Amino acid sequence: MVPSHPFSRTVVLTTVAAALLTLTACSGSAVSSAAGDSGAPLKIGVVVPLTGPVGETGKALQRGLELGVQKVNDSGGVGGKKVEYVVVDDAGDPATSTQLARKLIQQDRVSMLFGTITGDTAEAVSKVAEDAKVPFGTAILGDTEGCFPYSWGFGESTRQILLPSVPELIGTYGKRVAIVGSDYNYPHFYAGIAKEIAKSAGGTIVAEEYSPLGQTDWQSVITRLKDAEPDVLLSMVVGADAVAFSRQAKQFGLLTSRLGYDGAPLDTDYYPALADLVNGRTHVVRWTDQLDNAESKEFVADYRAKYTFTPPIPEVAGNAYFGVQFFLAAAGKVGRNDPQAINTEIGKMRFDSPLGKGTHFEPANHLLQADMLETTIEPGGAYKVTRNLGPIADNVAKQGCS
Amino acid sequence: MDVLLAILSQFGLYGLLTLGVAIIFAALRVVNLAQGDLAMTGAYVAATATTVAFGWRVLLACVLCVAPLMMIERILLRRPLADGLATMLVTWGVGMALRQVAELVFTSTSRTAAAPVESTVELLGTPYPAYRLISGLVAVAVIGAVLFAAYRTGWGLTLRAVADNPTMAALLGTDPRRMRTAAFVAGGMLAVLAGALYSPLLAVNPSMGFGLLVPMFFALLFSRPGALGAAVTAAFLVAALAVLLRTWLTDTLADALFYIVIIGAAALRSRSHVRRLLSWSRRILSPARSS
Repeated sequence: MVPSHPFSRTVVLTTVAAALLTLTACSGSAVSSAAGDSGAPLKIGVVVPLTGPVGETGKALQRGLELGVQKVNDSGGVGGKKVEYVVVDDAGDPATSTQLARKLIQQDRVSMLFGTITGDTAEAVSKVAEDAKVPFGTAILGDTEGCFPYSWGFGESTRQILLPSVPELIGTYGKRVAIVGSDYNYPHFYAGIAKEIAKSAGGTIVAEEYSPLGQTDWQSVITRLKDAEPDVLLSMVVGADAVAFSRQAKQFGLLTSRLGYDGAPLDTDYYPALADLVNGRTHVVRWTDQLDNAESKEFVADYRAKYTFTPPIPEVAGNAYFGVQFFLAAAGKVGRNDPQAINTEIGKMRFDSPLGKGTHFEPANHLLQADMLETTIEPGGAYKVTRNLGPIADNVAKQGCS
Repeated sequence: MDVLLAILSQFGLYGLLTLGVAIIFAALRVVNLAQGDLAMTGAYVAATATTVAFGWRVLLACVLCVAPLMMIERILLRRPLADGLATMLVTWGVGMALRQVAELVFTSTSRTAAAPVESTVELLGTPYPAYRLISGLVAVAVIGAVLFAAYRTGWGLTLRAVADNPTMAALLGTDPRRMRTAAFVAGGMLAVLAGALYSPLLAVNPSMGFGLLVPMFFALLFSRPGALGAAVTAAFLVAALAVLLRTWLTDTLADALFYIVIIGAAALRSRSHVRRLLSWSRRILSPARSS
């Protein structure tokens, strides 16, 4: 009788299979290793849509970030080393954003992430950043209901936009406020805050309409809005729909000079398509290429020269330019390439820039507390600053950070 | 009145696109997946050639598309003709190429074409945008003219003969290759016209054609090869359903219900007893004539 070996073939195979399964499960569920290498130059992973419907906004963000990094490198970099960055194109698809953010952390060993344009891709990268404990900066306008401990938004929050603009519109045009939006999460979130602010400013909500993305005919929505006889129309209709809606609203006689109109269609991105409809209107922003500030003017001149760009520079470019400098200043203060320590420092930092003196993040919601500007849109696309509104606080706590 | 005018406007757009795709389907037995992107090219011509009057831009778009459409049919669609699926994929590729070229040349930022007439007209007490009415009426007139050509001219007879039985039509002296080219050019031109004509009402961008495909395919679902009149009727019903639902309900609910009704109707239509009923009703409405 041949005695059986203590490590029979079955036992060995089972053990190997179990080990492989465990390894596979680990790699699929979380980003296993923290990024960053204390001796190496600091590297930023930039996830942006360079193609697809929001490709132009993605390019603006990338350009702003590139010039921001260049400025930091020209003044010595971080820790005496030039900052590097890797740009990847997520085409505005959240699944691709997740995959690329993981790759940037695991293979490229980036110490921080920056970018994304749409809310769903920002959330996808925020989750990866949280898993890997790597700070992630966004520059998009608006915010969402949730908050992530490793995500920081340089774009103005919905409250920071609406707190000064809605009472002003009600005061100028009248109390009857209508809201229209594309039918996805953010416009509903925007409408919730708009209603709250409008009511506290003495306004009445007379209509609220949503339409699925990709709508070509707006007649029924416009008819319902017209029937409500609003004095003010707040629009969070986005993308190509913003153009079609605004055009058709003008054709049907809803969008007249007697109606207060504000929201996404007044952003610089849409100016080339809607110039005649938005000229003369006021719009609250965090940054404009018309800002009378030496540092901002230098950025604008560099941007126009480097990218041969003549239309209004999208706000997201300015937010990315100053935002990445904020991130790199925090990394410089930490003094070592440690993503977790950099993240902690970002939360504590006070940073002076054309966006305001002592700009900082509110710990309860990770939103940048900075100045807001009231601009008037002039023919040709100049968003002239008519009033510096100073810092507009948004300290409403959000789940995930509070 | 508002509702009727909305149906007219939507039917004009859907009708032109559906009729175009139905003509191509009749002659080539292929659903042209580039139809929406051809509309996009027409819209770009209308939005960018601003040195000439709008009407001329629409005509220019229709004229300029003839040669490229002929080349697409002769070079790309003729070879894989034996395999319908392969040809359909080629049209998908053509659409993708058109989108990429538009993105490269014009970027993905939306543009608009200014309407040539900005005023409103009063119709039975209802003020209505004049250009919206004009575009709808022009589209309906073109649809009528094409249907007249299809059912009252030799070209139309040949097209329907090729659609019914291409082999028999070839044996009787019709050159199916010339007919296929002519049908592809005519069908594609209707899409280009739709895009150019409706450009002042839409946002012009590289992906705009994609959103136009769905109602067009739904309309096509309810017709059969060569039945151009049925395709136009289906386009009218799809436009009317979309407008009525959006008048009575919120847009989101209307959109959901629209898909449910269309899919339900398509499923019902595939039932054998419903098919038989439709077949009898057709015979009653247009009885066979004795020679």
